[in-house]
Amino acid sequence: MATTAVTLAPEGSEPTEPGASGTRLGTLGRSPALRMIGRRLLLAIPVIWGTTLLTFCLMNLLPGTAATALLGADATPQAIALLNHKLGLDQPFWTRYVDWLGHALQGNLGTSLASGQQVTSLVMQRLEVSAELIVLAFLLGLVASVVVATLAARQPHGIAAWISVAVSTIGLSLPPFVISLVLVFVFAVKLKVLPPLGFVSVSTNLGWNLRTLILPAVSLALPMFAVFNRMLRADLLDQMQTEDYVTTARAKGASPWRVLLRHALRNSLFGLLTVAGLQIGVLLGTTVVVEQIFSVPGIGQQLLSAIQNEDVPVVEGIVAVIATITVLANLITDVLYAVLDPRIRNDSASS
Amino acid sequence: MTVQAPEQSALPGALPAAVLPLRQSRSRLMTWLRRRDLDLWIPGVILAALLIGCFILPLTGVLPNPAAGDLTETLRPPFSPGHILGTDTIGRDVMSRILYGGRTSLEVGVSVNIIGIVVGGLIGMFSGFRRGVVDSLIMRILDVMLAFPALILTIVIATYLGPSELNVIWAISFFSIPAYARLARAVTLKMREQVYIDAARMSGRSDGAILLRHIAPNVLPQLATFSLLQVGIVVMIEATLSFLGAGVGPQEASWGTMIATGQIYLSTNPALVLVPSAFLFVTVVCLNVLGDGLRGRYGRAL
Repeated sequence: MATTAVTLAPEGSEPTEPGASGTRLGTLGRSPALRMIGRRLLLAIPVIWGTTLLTFCLMNLLPGTAATALLGADATPQAIALLNHKLGLDQPFWTRYVDWLGHALQGNLGTSLASGQQVTSLVMQRLEVSAELIVLAFLLGLVASVVVATLAARQPHGIAAWISVAVSTIGLSLPPFVISLVLVFVFAVKLKVLPPLGFVSVSTNLGWNLRTLILPAVSLALPMFAVFNRMLRADLLDQMQTEDYVTTARAKGASPWRVLLRHALRNSLFGLLTVAGLQIGVLLGTTVVVEQIFSVPGIGQQLLSAIQNEDVPVVEGIVAVIATITVLANLITDVLYAVLDPRIRNDSASS
Repeated sequence: MTVQAPEQSALPGALPAAVLPLRQSRSRLMTWLRRRDLDLWIPGVILAALLIGCFILPLTGVLPNPAAGDLTETLRPPFSPGHILGTDTIGRDVMSRILYGGRTSLEVGVSVNIIGIVVGGLIGMFSGFRRGVVDSLIMRILDVMLAFPALILTIVIATYLGPSELNVIWAISFFSIPAYARLARAVTLKMREQVYIDAARMSGRSDGAILLRHIAPNVLPQLATFSLLQVGIVVMIEATLSFLGAGVGPQEASWGTMIATGQIYLSTNPALVLVPSAFLFVTVVCLNVLGDGLRGRYGRAL
């Protein structure tokens, strides 16, 4: 009786569809969980591929070319032609795309037009910073929402319930960039307790590193907090009011906290998990904006500057990496869901 | 108890939560407001005032030109004589820019969702009505589109299309269509089992006529209630794109560009950031409360 929330699952099972998973190895093929995982894996490939193709098309349709961006507007046609040849830009579109894809599959995303650096190492280096920020925001949002939602469910008209509603409303109705600026205004400009921007790496000084990351992490965490909290609170209250096992536990003399934590929250956390995995992709999107505001040298800031410089390999590489992470996070969520939910694990007629 | 799968938010970045059901957990205040329909009236009146301010006031000529600055009157604080919300760094009237910016936001928010309803609705109805291979194929393509890292691709698309309101609309629409299509398909699947569809078919109506005369009228209200919550999300995305310089042109007024230019003056003139932020917040809250309220009353059929 837990909250079932599968966002990407196609609604209704389609019985006519053949196994779609390719995992028809004797009994394995009959396991619905494995079939589901196989199907998701197959779905992941076209998503990642489609994203790279779409980005490649977009970057090629734009009016200016990398050569004009690098050499300036008053470059001679000969110089442009020479550079285009050097960069392989005089090749037909499909040749270039297939070349790029072939290299990308081997882990080589090309070289940056602006700096000549390897895109793969550039992306990995930037990804480290973004990953720290995202993990921090994720934990912050998750822990805060569980605590606040549980307190709010314990006392539906208490102070936690009010905080829960107020913060959720803000998280749902303000885009992260506005949250960032308001936080900077309050904590850096008015109260002067945190630095407004700048980034100190973990290796330099962990304390300062965390101090510089608090505001960006909170900006990222707030919308996520709103999503989790809203869902969890509704689910907890619903269970406490309608479920028989809650009544049974109460009748057996379990304390209200025990009923809430052991019986209701455990159930709800399962539903929360499935929503949480999908938020990774959302966080990767919002981190672009937030990094820009706080000048955190992560993958998002790099993406925006690469877009401005028309540094095609970098944009292409970053979008491909982000798409891959998003899709993998969704995939892992689905898999966890299938593995953890006994109804999906054992039952073949699941939707 | 099974909470319906939250539909993937149409849009990037963003906050699928607006489509989550919020049951049982109303505060006393909400219950009180709801009993008197105030949860519809209050946001409705605020939004109506905003609409009048954004679309009718500029026609009357009382507003100063939002693009023309007076360099002798820069950075006036709010409530200055002649400039109720003050002026910006090059002396442009903030109130006037807010209202013209609101116009952009609302135009984008509404157009994106109209495109989503029409295109997504047609795709979804067709797919759900035909079933079979075509349906499976369309649904797989939509799944792929829903799984895109949408905010990032919207930024890329909007940047390359170039800064203009129309391009912003196209860029965001691309990612709003799949959610509408899925919803339309779900409603269509339910509708095609109804007896009156059989009756229409037996009386010799063509598939096209059944789709338009019998199915579309049932699908449209569902899409419309869903769209109310989506408008707020699109308004936020438009602001984000403009903030990053990928939205409307820098000369045009938009809440996002206003916040972006005011950003450097956050410590000396916070109003330049806080005023457009407040308008953005109130607008989105009103849209969400109104959408929630209408959905709670009329959107339960599904």
